[in-house]
Amino acid sequence: MKAYIIRRLLQSLIVILGVSIIVFFILHLTGDPAALLLPLDATQEDIDKFRHEMGFDDPVIVQYFRFLKNALRGDFGKSLRHAQPAMGLVLERLPATIELTLFSLFLALLVSFPAGIISAIKKGTMYDYVAMTFALIGQSIPIFWLGLMLILFFSVQLHLLPVSGRGGLSHLILPSVSIALYSSAALTRLIRSNFIEVMNADYIRTARAKGVSEFKVILKHALRNASIPVVTMLGLQFAALLGGAVITETIFAWPGVGRLAIQAIYDRDYPLVQAVVFVVALTFVITNIIIDIIYTYLDPRIKYN
Amino acid sequence: MKRFLVLLGIFLLLLTFSSLGLSAPKDTVVIAQGVDATTLDPHMQQETPTYNVCENIYDALVSRNPKEEIVPNLAVSWKVLNDTTWQFKLRKGVKFHNGEEFDANAVKFSIERVINPKNHSPQISDLSAIDHVDIVDKYTVNIVTKKPYPVLLARLTAHMIIPPKYTQEKGADYLALHPVGTGPYKFKKWYKDEKIELVANEDYHLGAPKVKKLVFRPIPEASSRIAELLTGGVDIITNVPPDKLKEIENSKRARVSAAPSARVIFIVLDMTRESPLKSKKVRQALNYAVDVDSIIKYVLNGNGYRVATPLPSSFFGYDPSIKPYPYDPKKAKELLKEAGYPHGFKMTLLSPSGRYLMDKDVAQAIAGQLNNVGLKVNVKVLEWGVYVKQILSRKTESPMFLLGWGNTTFDADGTLFPMFRSGERLSFYENHEFDKYVDLARQTLDPEKRKEYYHKALRILYDDPGWIFLYQQKDLYGASKRIKWEARPDERIHGIDIDWNR
Repeated sequence: MKAYIIRRLLQSLIVILGVSIIVFFILHLTGDPAALLLPLDATQEDIDKFRHEMGFDDPVIVQYFRFLKNALRGDFGKSLRHAQPAMGLVLERLPATIELTLFSLFLALLVSFPAGIISAIKKGTMYDYVAMTFALIGQSIPIFWLGLMLILFFSVQLHLLPVSGRGGLSHLILPSVSIALYSSAALTRLIRSNFIEVMNADYIRTARAKGVSEFKVILKHALRNASIPVVTMLGLQFAALLGGAVITETIFAWPGVGRLAIQAIYDRDYPLVQAVVFVVALTFVITNIIIDIIYTYLDPRIKYN
Repeated sequence: MKRFLVLLGIFLLLLTFSSLGLSAPKDTVVIAQGVDATTLDPHMQQETPTYNVCENIYDALVSRNPKEEIVPNLAVSWKVLNDTTWQFKLRKGVKFHNGEEFDANAVKFSIERVINPKNHSPQISDLSAIDHVDIVDKYTVNIVTKKPYPVLLARLTAHMIIPPKYTQEKGADYLALHPVGTGPYKFKKWYKDEKIELVANEDYHLGAPKVKKLVFRPIPEASSRIAELLTGGVDIITNVPPDKLKEIENSKRARVSAAPSARVIFIVLDMTRESPLKSKKVRQALNYAVDVDSIIKYVLNGNGYRVATPLPSSFFGYDPSIKPYPYDPKKAKELLKEAGYPHGFKMTLLSPSGRYLMDKDVAQAIAGQLNNVGLKVNVKVLEWGVYVKQILSRKTESPMFLLGWGNTTFDADGTLFPMFRSGERLSFYENHEFDKYVDLARQTLDPEKRKEYYHKALRILYDDPGWIFLYQQKDLYGASKRIKWEARPDERIHGIDIDWNR
């Protein structure tokens, strides 16, 4: 197992390297950061001086290797806009994004597991149809609209919850619900279909024949097997949300990584974009590895040598 | 079931208590801008939202009061010694928030820091007219310019003074996160992208502020800003879309505050390259063809002021005798025919999207009006970064493009020189008579002479237009009824000007 993990980590390094190359070169093809950072009436002399001091004059390849050398030491340079270490800026925002992501997925799981399982068991009944319709609506509603509607209703009309910002539990609810609606819709449908499949398997019939209570059949036997694809989806959603739920963060003024990333892209803030991309890529990679390890606990037949 | 209901009840109770943070607390004014400050080092930035935070913490030698008049601040008086030397007498007994004394050394340190290219200050071109600063005595400095520079005072209103000892000891990176100034508010804490907390400086040399706590919150989405204002979560919001004004006006808690902006919007007509726009008659025709008043009325809901030239009425050098081009599509068609384009011509109108209020909508309206006089104009929208690159490299896809210019010196020099003097980076105009006058206006410190030169230059520019002259923006803000505050033309928000409505 240990050897497997180490091998996966090395493979991930290659993935991250590839991502950094692509991002670096694409960024350099559009727009000049010096022009964006200096006022419009800066003289050509000022701009040239600035470009030279920042190292933008060197060929792109040279700039890339300079970047790589520093990145290996954890130094992603200073953000062009904020004049502070880029990686530091990203790490500062990470706790907020993690908080939002975890709470959203928690809500999503809270809703989707019971909903999906009951839908599967009561397949074809009114309950099933209602649940599936909600799932369809949930996956179709644009988060942008949903967020604004939640604010209009719960904050402006009912004065129950704050509009935006990060703070206590009440600040977490509306943004999490916006995200959770989509996640839970997708998860519910997945759990339902997996459960239906699993419930028809032979070993379930055997368990029932053995006299195991229906409750135990569902929770102990069926659930574990149905969960494997769900874990995958959960992992993917987690990693994607950790990259920053940009729209939600913008609407709710949540101080997360997504907002930072978007602003950095508009500003052609190369060091900052690179730092964000690196962190997001790393998250994806680690999440994938962790999911694979979780598989071995869910399904003893899966072994890595 | 019972247990579930009890738990639900407790949950809702907790919810109510934790959401008592819904309204802004009684002694705090909360200001919501679209973005967070990028740094609290006042010399390492060049954006209004960051200026707004910094100008509460730091002071300049001179500042602008709400009427935009230049008044003493850290400098109590000044006089011109010769064409290139200005002497400032500094205020005595002022201390930085950490106790360090303010004196001539701080002024020399701050100004020379910005003009030194090694420091990469984005404000370097604002002060590039300054050659160096001489210390005459502890409370007297001489600022020496390279050439006569009549706009020096205006430029100095935006230059904030930092503590030399503190900056040298702790370093610029530390200053950026732990600002120390002489201003009306002291820095308390900065939660990135969340809020910046400031507290009143009771020893402020111009009198302690009435609002004891100031908080800046970045809220990118306009609808969210408005929702916060309406629920009492924030007290001042910036950049309100014109179609939301009614909602705010009709609310219990809030009202609209508007100010004529220092920013003008226009269409650049590049005459420096081969195109139909090289002809003076064509450029005049375009000005006759656009119905600016209806654009202001219908696209901006009335939130704009017509300008005849690049200068708004509040600017030094403005000539009230110049009236805007009347809307006359017939005359436009005539002029086009005389210029040799009886059937019009094809051209693209470039526009950014979302950079200025209703920018691409204005462009669409203009394209429609130009098409009414026989031209074939289509609008192409570009992302701002790409747009800026094209303009600065002078490789715009079309010689006709929409732009805005916010000149907070309130002086004609800050607009006419960079935008029209031939050879300047942002100038797509070439008229040597015009050049003569704007050059002369720069070389003398005599305001009467300067006004004369600018009036002459404006007449030339009006007759040989470099732009389709459009309008001066109206900046729209929302403010809570519990405070007394009005918007300023220079887009600044100063806590010292805010008071409570009893």
